[in-house]
Amino acid sequence: MSRTLNDAYIVAVARTPVGKAPRGAFRAARPDTLLAHALSSVLARAPTLDPAAVDDVIAGCAMPEYEQGMNVARIGVLLAGLPDTVAGMTVNRFCSSGLNAVSIAADRIRTGEADVLIAAGTESMSMIPMLGRLSLNAEVFARDENLGIAYGMGLTAEQVAARWKVSRDDQDAFALESHRRALAAQAAGEFDAEIAPIAVRERRPDLATGRVSERETNVAKDEGPRADTSAEGLAKLRPVFAAKGSVTAGNSSQMSDGAAAVIVASQAAIRAHGLTPLARFAGYAVGGVAPEIMGVGPLAAIPKVLRTTGLALADIDWIELNEAFAAQSLAVIRDLGMDPARVNPLGGAIALGHPLGATGAIRTATIVEGLKRRGGRWGMVTMCVGTGMGAAGVFERV
Amino acid sequence: MGAQIAAHLVNAGVPTVLFDLTAREGDPRGVARRAIEGLAKLEPAPLAAKDLGGAIVPAHYGEDLALLGDCDLVVEAIAERLDWKRDLYAKIGPHLKDGAVLATNTSGLSIAALAQSVPAAHRARFCGVHFFNPPRYMHLVELVAGPDTPADLLDALETFLTTTLGKGVIRAKDTPNFVANRIGVFSVIAALHHTARLGLSYEVVDALTGPAIGRPKSATFRTIDVVGLDTTAHVIGTMRDTLPDDPWHAHFDVPPVLAALVAKGALGAKAKTGFYRKAGRDIQVLDPATGEYRTSAAEVDPAVAAILALPSPAEKLRGLRASGHPQADFLWSNFRDVFHYAAFQLGAIADTARDLDLAMRWGFGWAIGPFETWQAAGWGDVAGWIAEDIAAGRALARAPLPAWVGGAAVVQARGVHAAAGSYSAAADRLVPRSTLPVYRRQRFPDAIAVERFDRGTTIFETDAVRAWHLEDEVAVVTFKTKQHTISDEVLDGVERAVEHAERAMAGLVIWQTREPFSFGANLASLAPAVQAGRYDEVERVVARFQRTSLSLRYALVPTVAAVRGMALGGSCEFILHCDRTVAALESYIGLVEAGVGLLPGGGGTKEMALRAADAVKQGPTGGQADQFPFVRAYFQTIATATVAKSAFEARALGFLRPADVVVAHPHEILHVAIGQARALADAGYRPPLVPTAVPVAGRTGIATLEMMLVNLRDGGFVTGYDFEVALRIARVICGGDVDAGSLVDERWLIDLERAEFMALVRDARTQARIAHTLATGKPLRN
Repeated sequence: MSRTLNDAYIVAVARTPVGKAPRGAFRAARPDTLLAHALSSVLARAPTLDPAAVDDVIAGCAMPEYEQGMNVARIGVLLAGLPDTVAGMTVNRFCSSGLNAVSIAADRIRTGEADVLIAAGTESMSMIPMLGRLSLNAEVFARDENLGIAYGMGLTAEQVAARWKVSRDDQDAFALESHRRALAAQAAGEFDAEIAPIAVRERRPDLATGRVSERETNVAKDEGPRADTSAEGLAKLRPVFAAKGSVTAGNSSQMSDGAAAVIVASQAAIRAHGLTPLARFAGYAVGGVAPEIMGVGPLAAIPKVLRTTGLALADIDWIELNEAFAAQSLAVIRDLGMDPARVNPLGGAIALGHPLGATGAIRTATIVEGLKRRGGRWGMVTMCVGTGMGAAGVFERV
Repeated sequence: MGAQIAAHLVNAGVPTVLFDLTAREGDPRGVARRAIEGLAKLEPAPLAAKDLGGAIVPAHYGEDLALLGDCDLVVEAIAERLDWKRDLYAKIGPHLKDGAVLATNTSGLSIAALAQSVPAAHRARFCGVHFFNPPRYMHLVELVAGPDTPADLLDALETFLTTTLGKGVIRAKDTPNFVANRIGVFSVIAALHHTARLGLSYEVVDALTGPAIGRPKSATFRTIDVVGLDTTAHVIGTMRDTLPDDPWHAHFDVPPVLAALVAKGALGAKAKTGFYRKAGRDIQVLDPATGEYRTSAAEVDPAVAAILALPSPAEKLRGLRASGHPQADFLWSNFRDVFHYAAFQLGAIADTARDLDLAMRWGFGWAIGPFETWQAAGWGDVAGWIAEDIAAGRALARAPLPAWVGGAAVVQARGVHAAAGSYSAAADRLVPRSTLPVYRRQRFPDAIAVERFDRGTTIFETDAVRAWHLEDEVAVVTFKTKQHTISDEVLDGVERAVEHAERAMAGLVIWQTREPFSFGANLASLAPAVQAGRYDEVERVVARFQRTSLSLRYALVPTVAAVRGMALGGSCEFILHCDRTVAALESYIGLVEAGVGLLPGGGGTKEMALRAADAVKQGPTGGQADQFPFVRAYFQTIATATVAKSAFEARALGFLRPADVVVAHPHEILHVAIGQARALADAGYRPPLVPTAVPVAGRTGIATLEMMLVNLRDGGFVTGYDFEVALRIARVICGGDVDAGSLVDERWLIDLERAEFMALVRDARTQARIAHTLATGKPLRN
């Protein structure tokens, strides 16, 4: 028996601004609170949709423990005030978690078993830094081939820089350009449509008065881009992950907090609920590489997704390539012959930040809104993934 | 300097307010706040623990003066301007509480003159308390009475400065620059004079006037660079302005070379240029002949070096005087002029020769004071040589030596220091040490020259240790080895002391007669067996070390380590096994074995594994808390051979426990340690039960630590062998290749520690590290 797949569409997107971790705007904002905000914001952007019609909420999170444990997706659903009937599932594939959530949601629709889902992502690196409560299996060291599992992300970037011969100068220049583009995009209001500003309330003890001092701040802008970044400043930074290396804090992604949510709907649901499709989900692929060179993971995922969608790289008008590190970004760009002008036109994670499991959902929001605003047909969100993976998703503007 | 004094007060646990000017903009307390924040960036650290800065309350004169109402001691440390100080006293006077002490930290101004500007109500409670910079580290405080300061106030202040702040107090008379700076600055003046006269280069003078004659490494010109050329010129100017009748007054003009450099802005370290400057990695020195900087290349003439190497102080001075070499001439001339000046001024500036000598030791870091040097070389002979030089016009002033130098009291005592006391020029007799009760806490203060203290009663004595007591029920064991290293014989001695204490005493204290506490196990004595591959012998020594540590832990009487200065390696392991440690604030404790490719094998690694387990097991969570953060922290401390930079840091690192006692004054630790031993005994002491059911992090813990290590190794931060050494440390501290959460006992950990230690000993790379360190004193990173 053969069945035709349905198409899945993104019909609304919303994301929080991205805060700096661990001392930024969201230092005291819990990741489940951020997620709830993204969920209620995205529903507000589809006012004709009855929330009770949502079949499931799938949220990506890279370190789903403690503050973002307890199946954070379901907690977010309930905190957002969605009906009890709306379910929630947390998925984890590290940095592609948010994109993976979109693909799972789309697949539920494509199989025809669901009509409306929300795909999301959330991460607080302020509260749960990279690696979380780390505990490693001793078997990792039983065989040399698994040593790469032990590699920190920065060290894998050094491996990529060495093997793909990405110079320090090139990395720094790439980082500087990321900030330049991000600042220009902010100035032009490129992110305004996707961002749902959030009021953050902090409660600190005022020791002088003995009262709780409450302060509410409205956060409306990504905190990462720095106007004071300069080639000289970047050149002065010391390598962090290898004594004689080239990867610095300046040419790596920033630690961040943030959340995003997108509504994914079937053709039938769009008609039934009066929704407006923004982009069609065209396909998704993941692939693996050696853990110690995880940064080139997109080299395994991108050809796959191009094959399944029947596209050529040249067809893709806009690529959101997560800038985990300038070193791996440049290795991927060069290896696949990407047009640098089409990659991260609004800046990337070096400037905008990278809240691990939320990034895939955040950049989905960016590319969907961006294609609508700036034109272009095909968009791709892709990233490398810790322990040696890559992920790539393709969207078509409608 | 005010912020640094405030820092030391909070080091001592004294609640402190730091006042400064009202900030022109922003937070009115910004000036004081920034000064407090700045403390964290200074090196050496004024704060003995990072978070102590938060205990200093920032304040400004604008609206916070009411805070003074709670202060018992107010120390004024503003710029050296009489008019500014007068204004300040007038401003704060109405806010001082009754009975508060108002002290000035002036280094030069007259206390009597300042007292006139103190509001009458507080004048009697005004005096000088002169700290030396940096106040945490310089031992000296000069206490100067105002005209009306009552004796009981000075006594109380001296007690506070001694026990609470840990300082060495001398009473100075109210004369310009007081005691240490008066002699110290004179010494600089004389050195500058003779440097110019003999045409010596600055770096040669520094080579001559540093450790070669028992002075700090920074010697003369490097010290001036650090202090600041402007500051040095200022204090010399103070001598010129305030001592018009001083027979040496003609030499108190600021030397031309100093004036010229100050005019050029070459102010020393703070301007990065003074007598020295850094050019890349090179240290360059000013060439007095050309006025240009050139590479520094100090050479002490071999003949002069040979004289300085003579063991007899008398031969040394005689040799310098007779040599005729300009370098020898320089040294003799400098000694002579300082002796001459100190003798001439003694009566005017200090109560006794002891005070003057101690002031130079504590305030300037001289190993022994000028009178001690003079007396050691033969009082009468040296006096004769000085007199000859005065007569011949070679001395810096024509003033004759004072009559007391050849007087009956001094001649009879063969100098100014004798068992009966130290010479007071004012009283013309030998005066014993202060009888202030606080000094009863110091059984063994810094001995001057021939001074000897009652060493107590010997219980037994070997070549390596002495066990003794002070006529009470607590035994003390003291190491006699060089740097108090722990040899086989020391292990024998400690075990014997434990046995004796169990049999006949109420407790045992480990204490050393001087710093360091100990540099740890004696590597040199272990090396031959290691190099010859006699591993069984090595293992016996290690087992022995472990047994000795455990004997301290399970002795039937309380054991107390009294620590000051460095306490490294094996001696840290002793500390870890004593029931209690009494540590001077300036204690530098660490397990440094990893540096020579070893791990702490005297029970230290085992002990940190136990402490990690205890941290969660003993708490109210009943073992539900996560043990691994403790395991990881202790592992890092051992693997990186971290040495605590204060007793508080040692507590933070887990070497000291909450019940261990931190004492400010290093000479009081024996007194406190004996008291602690007695108190533990009085409480019906029983040794701890042997720990059983100790949870360990096991193979998961090892793997998680290995992950961290892999990144360091493959990132090129540590060598392959560093990695292997650290991994063995990880294995011990995680309890070996067992499942996480397995329960082991102390014996299991001890055996594991010894096995991993022996695996390292057998490794040629550890052997190379040991050999290299013994040969060069430096670590080998292979």
